[in-house]
Amino acid sequence: MSEYGVLLQQVINGLSLGAMYALLALGFTLVYGILELINFAHFNVFMVSSFIGMWTLEAVGISGQSHVLTGLALAGVLALAFAVTMLAGGVLGVAIERFSLRPLRKVRGPAAMITTIGVSYILFNVILLGVGAESKNYPNPMPVVRWQFGQVTLELREVLIWGITAVLMVALHLFVHRTRLGKAMRATAQDAEAAQMMGVDVDRVIVTAFFVGSALAGAAALIFGLYYNFTSFIIGYTAGLRAFTAAVLGGIGSVGGAMVGGLLIGLIESLGGQLIAVRWTDVIIFSILILVLVFVPSGLFGRATPTKS
Amino acid sequence: MLSRRALLINLSTTALVGAVMARSRSVFAADKTITVGISLPFTGADAHDAELIKDGALLALDDANAKGGVAGYKINVMQLDSGTATAGQYDPAQAATNARKMVSDDSVIAAIGPQMSGSGKAMSPILSEGDLATITPSSTNPDITDPKFAGQYRPKGKAIYFRTVTTDAYQGPNMANYFADTLKVKSVYVLDDSGAYGVGLADAFQAQAKKRGITVLGRDRLDPKEADYTTTLTKMKGLGPDALYYGGVAQAGVKVIKQSYDIVPKIIKAGGDGVYGAEILSGAGFPAAEGWYATIAAPNVLDNPDAASFIQQFAKKYGKQPGNYSITAYDAALVILAAVASVAASGKDVTRSAVRDAIQQSHVKTLQGIVSFDANGDIENRVISVFQITKNDKYPLDDLLHQYKYVGVAPASS
Repeated sequence: MSEYGVLLQQVINGLSLGAMYALLALGFTLVYGILELINFAHFNVFMVSSFIGMWTLEAVGISGQSHVLTGLALAGVLALAFAVTMLAGGVLGVAIERFSLRPLRKVRGPAAMITTIGVSYILFNVILLGVGAESKNYPNPMPVVRWQFGQVTLELREVLIWGITAVLMVALHLFVHRTRLGKAMRATAQDAEAAQMMGVDVDRVIVTAFFVGSALAGAAALIFGLYYNFTSFIIGYTAGLRAFTAAVLGGIGSVGGAMVGGLLIGLIESLGGQLIAVRWTDVIIFSILILVLVFVPSGLFGRATPTKS
Repeated sequence: MLSRRALLINLSTTALVGAVMARSRSVFAADKTITVGISLPFTGADAHDAELIKDGALLALDDANAKGGVAGYKINVMQLDSGTATAGQYDPAQAATNARKMVSDDSVIAAIGPQMSGSGKAMSPILSEGDLATITPSSTNPDITDPKFAGQYRPKGKAIYFRTVTTDAYQGPNMANYFADTLKVKSVYVLDDSGAYGVGLADAFQAQAKKRGITVLGRDRLDPKEADYTTTLTKMKGLGPDALYYGGVAQAGVKVIKQSYDIVPKIIKAGGDGVYGAEILSGAGFPAAEGWYATIAAPNVLDNPDAASFIQQFAKKYGKQPGNYSITAYDAALVILAAVASVAASGKDVTRSAVRDAIQQSHVKTLQGIVSFDANGDIENRVISVFQITKNDKYPLDDLLHQYKYVGVAPASS
């Protein structure tokens, strides 16, 4: 492979990584936009969802990578797996909000954020103790299809990741900008009290933000499993931290920013690894983050801090 | 002999005498028990293989207890977990805590473990201060027993870190020889998993590979918590090596195996004993793991007819097949039992320092042959066995015995 071919291949790798980070970053950004709360439980909602996706696939009789489906059967199984995983992820997110965060809503200070860290550890340990520690071989019904363009290999699963991510993001954009509930979300993000006075049901908006954000984490989790063919109780940490960084880089609270931030982090990771060395990946990512925050404190696409009382 | 009831009567008659006796109960050897410490990573990615090691050791200790103990002593086991959820695998800090716990309990006369060299580096200085010998059935980093680092790993001077496997000073280089002689590899890319074992093994392999005229096209360090290694593997593919050598354990290994199967399916791939494990088979699975070479730092005993009864007994007791490091753990327990017996036979008290001295003098017949140690605690028999993962549908897919096919001995450097 020539230098050019390798770089192009790394761009493809980076886009696939970035798509996953972006989906995960949206969950941070949606909740932050409305509650100004960094939800660390999101890391492990992602991790738990990947197991739910795995069990769903196993329930329809797929194990390992040897059961290959094609055509309608594949589409049906994938649609079912995505539906179940996203729904379960969403319900988990809503449950976290309802039972551990709503009672703290009126408490000032970092109590809610610390609570999300606690919830994160609970999810982590429930899976560790309940499912075990070893990496699980993820069931994957997708055939291995590769296209060769010159020196660059493109795989079916990469195209699927990009496609599914694009569809989900367009859907989210339409939801936020074209529906009544989306409008209520934007209003709450701008000023929760005023929105409430105008008749917006703030609780419903918050529940929606948690549901949508966690459902996207569910989608990201299933994509993760299908892409890497493994999952384990530990996957939430690195992916979650990178996605959170992506949300901050793009401008936390900004939906478009989370998408761009995710793709940027993915590309930085793969190209940085190629041109410098993988062991420096985190150093590169966080150096760029610090530089961006020094010069553009609200992130690339963040609005200037809104005036809040 | 002073029974518990006698003690109670004493207590009820004269409280003072009773209290004194209770405090010095072990001196009376009323129960005549000794304790063997076992510290292994039962939490995290190494758990599966840690269980195999523990089961091997317990088989020998339980056998001895069933026969009435060794030299009249019943053997207790202090089993400690050196893996943590935060690390997701073995955790050297936890291993150090475990070492302190064993040292502070006077009844512990010897230990088995650790599984991992990273833990060994943390435990060794503490064990040395406590004069407590441990026998590792699987940790292979040479630094721990190297006299050059004696000040660091055994500040009190005497060897306390014994092994029933040999070290990466042989495992890495011998595999490099195997690459050059048998596999005819011309160029290689080397990866490690940032752990003490992985880095040391990869370094040792790389140095010998260069000496044998194999071009080392690159070297990268992987973060075991990271999910994505496609960046590194794509970079490697761009350089077009004949082979990949991975120094490290299962947590990163599973992902290296899966992702290298997608990106560089055709090249020769190999690792050390970190790639020899049930975790590799169940986590990476087939077809990704097919064809990988792995080594162990011990003779291949599982194919040896002498081991047949061991395998049978193991399978009957635990309902699963042993691994080669179940055997080295079994051997480690045999060495400890023999040491206790010889101390007792010489009429000395069974103290940990007497047991240490006896282990040092060991000449014990075990499953892998006669085990004896040099002055640093390293085993004198230095054999590196090579295996290739070859799917065998007739057996469970995580059965070490049948999915790893023994292909020979990696030649020592001349």
